[in-house]
Amino acid sequence: MSVSLQTVRDQAWLAFEARGLPTTRDEDWKYTDLSRISALLGEQWWQAAAATEIDAAAFAIPNLDAYHMIFVNGRFDAEASDLPAGITVSSLAGLIQDEPDKTIELMAYHADAALSSGLTAANSALASDGACICIAANTRLDKPLHILHVNDGGTSHLRSSIEVGQHAELEIIEHFAGNHDASGLTNSVTAIRLAAGGRCTHYRLQLEAVKQCHNGRVEVKQSRDSAYVLHAVELGALLSRTDVISKLDEQGASCELNGLFVASNRQHVDHHTRIEHNAPHCVSREHYRSVLDGRAHGVFNGKIIVGKGAVKTDSAQSNANLLLSDKAEIDTKPELEIYNDDVKCAHGVTIGQLDKNQLFYLKSRGISEEEAKQMLTFAFADEILAKMGSQPVRRFIERAAFAKLPIITDLEGMLV
Amino acid sequence: MIEIKDLHASVDGKAILKGINLTIGAGEVHAIMGPNGSGKSTLSNIIAGRDGYTVTKGSITYKGKNLLEMSPEQRSWEGIFLAFQYPVEIPGVNNTYLLKAGVNAKRKHQGLQELDAIEFLQIVREKAKLVELDQSFLSRGVNEGFSGGEKKRNEIFQMAVLEPSLALLDETDSGLDIDALRIVANGVNHLRSKDRSVVMVTHYQRLLDYIQPDVVHVLMDGKILKTGGKDLALELEERGYDWVRQEAAA
Ligand SMILES: Nc1ncnc2c1ncn2[C@@H]1O[C@H](COP(=O)(O)OP(=O)(O)O)[C@@H](O)[C@H]1O
Ligand SMILES: [Mg+2]
Repeated sequence: MSVSLQTVRDQAWLAFEARGLPTTRDEDWKYTDLSRISALLGEQWWQAAAATEIDAAAFAIPNLDAYHMIFVNGRFDAEASDLPAGITVSSLAGLIQDEPDKTIELMAYHADAALSSGLTAANSALASDGACICIAANTRLDKPLHILHVNDGGTSHLRSSIEVGQHAELEIIEHFAGNHDASGLTNSVTAIRLAAGGRCTHYRLQLEAVKQCHNGRVEVKQSRDSAYVLHAVELGALLSRTDVISKLDEQGASCELNGLFVASNRQHVDHHTRIEHNAPHCVSREHYRSVLDGRAHGVFNGKIIVGKGAVKTDSAQSNANLLLSDKAEIDTKPELEIYNDDVKCAHGVTIGQLDKNQLFYLKSRGISEEEAKQMLTFAFADEILAKMGSQPVRRFIERAAFAKLPIITDLEGMLV
Repeated sequence: MIEIKDLHASVDGKAILKGINLTIGAGEVHAIMGPNGSGKSTLSNIIAGRDGYTVTKGSITYKGKNLLEMSPEQRSWEGIFLAFQYPVEIPGVNNTYLLKAGVNAKRKHQGLQELDAIEFLQIVREKAKLVELDQSFLSRGVNEGFSGGEKKRNEIFQMAVLEPSLALLDETDSGLDIDALRIVANGVNHLRSKDRSVVMVTHYQRLLDYIQPDVVHVLMDGKILKTGGKDLALELEERGYDWVRQEAAA
């Protein structure tokens, strides 16, 4: 029985029409009010932006030696890209033309997911482009793949699919950027599958323009002994929501989710993460931090589900938040659902101001109050960035993050 | 150097210092001894400017200025240094960066030109050698993952770099093995000069075998109950503290 791609798309559209956007009455969306999207973009907010030309070089990550796959307003820009030879990298739009069957599988993979929202359904119905990558078994991409999505406002639905074969390795940098005053929506779904022993390091850098809205979904399915590492950084956008789902489906799989929000003014940043321990001997690590200034609002919801059979689970989660102003706000909630006794699960949440003892220590060494505060804020956030293996990405984010905060007199000196 | 007059201080309404009188001249080394909880750290912290203490009476004059009006960083620029009893860990703040920022803030305050990276590194290397601190410590986070002894040595290292006029060592000797004690003492003796003063808060007489104090004070119940020479320390080690209280009461 064969279904056409159009049928899959139509079904997704019907699902979207039936569900609409989630509302704040929905427990998972309690703190993130998507009505702002239609308020900002109008009733037809889902309509894709027109094609345009943007100089992607302006968004380069300094000193990064990588392949580049560049999308402008949701469309693959082959000219600006520099793709590796020998592995399968194609744009979704290309795939729809050349291998529609493969695309069907890719779309169907999410369209019916009970966990996903109307936004994901809209994505399945409307996704125009995205990165489709296949790394064959026992191979490794010799350089990271920088997947850059730039826009000049307006809406784009991006659908990416990353398949890492047995014992294959891949490092990707998904990077969302813009530099404009318009409001639009970036609606991105990235599905990652790791075969046995596969490894993927995933940088997800959200540096959208100030009035852009961003909705992201990362869904990772992991086979035996595979390892997934996410470094999620939230700096840009007015309203940003990302769902990260990691399914540890076979024994010995591990995932590490590191997240940093640096938000100011009226920015709203929300991460909902869901780690499913579905098999024995899996390991998960999750460390999220936020630095919130002005009237920024952060939301962190970290769900960890340990299934009945997932014995010898080793899981640790931490979430620490630094509020730099009285008006900044964080809603944080660890949610542990554990269905067997043979597990190790540690978790902890802190919300606070800077440590008084550390402040005094610095001041007693001659550092002014203002500079001491900046140093400690930097250090707090940088502990998450220090987990990044890529020095160019870390430096790039350090500079971008701290450009948002009260300026450090000598940031370069602080960099370890 | 510093003159403390009838200093009374409290924490959360509880009186801790109850009339401290203490004068330390330039070039002098004083030891302050006393049982746990007698107010030694409180006194050191108040001199360094930690908040949370209320000075209810008395004054501290440092180099002719009212010390209590200065911020902790101003005190540091004016030459006060506290080696903490329990140094905090500050992950992510590089040890060397902290010192460079501190030294240059002080130089700026003094109207001197800031040191450049190379000049500074030279000083740091030299001082690290003095306290036998491995170079690798320089680029680590402040006290991050340091052992107890390493933290204390790091305090002395910082002292050596910052070259204070008045160094307060709050139980820097506690918990040190003999090698570390010798290194710490070495750092302090190196600093000694006719225009620098040192206050050592200690429990044990043994530190005073390495660093000869000019004066020894006994701080008990928030007051200095007795003052003497080096022999007083020996006597305290032998006889404990109770006799001092009895003698003072008599
Ligand atoms: N921050 C504080 N809050 C409450 N009590 C304090 C605080 N700091 C010191 N104290 C109390 O003051 C007294 C003196 O403490 P401290 O100065 O640390 O003594 P020492 O250093 O001589 O052992 C003790 O009774 C201690 O419990
Ligand atoms: Mg003490």
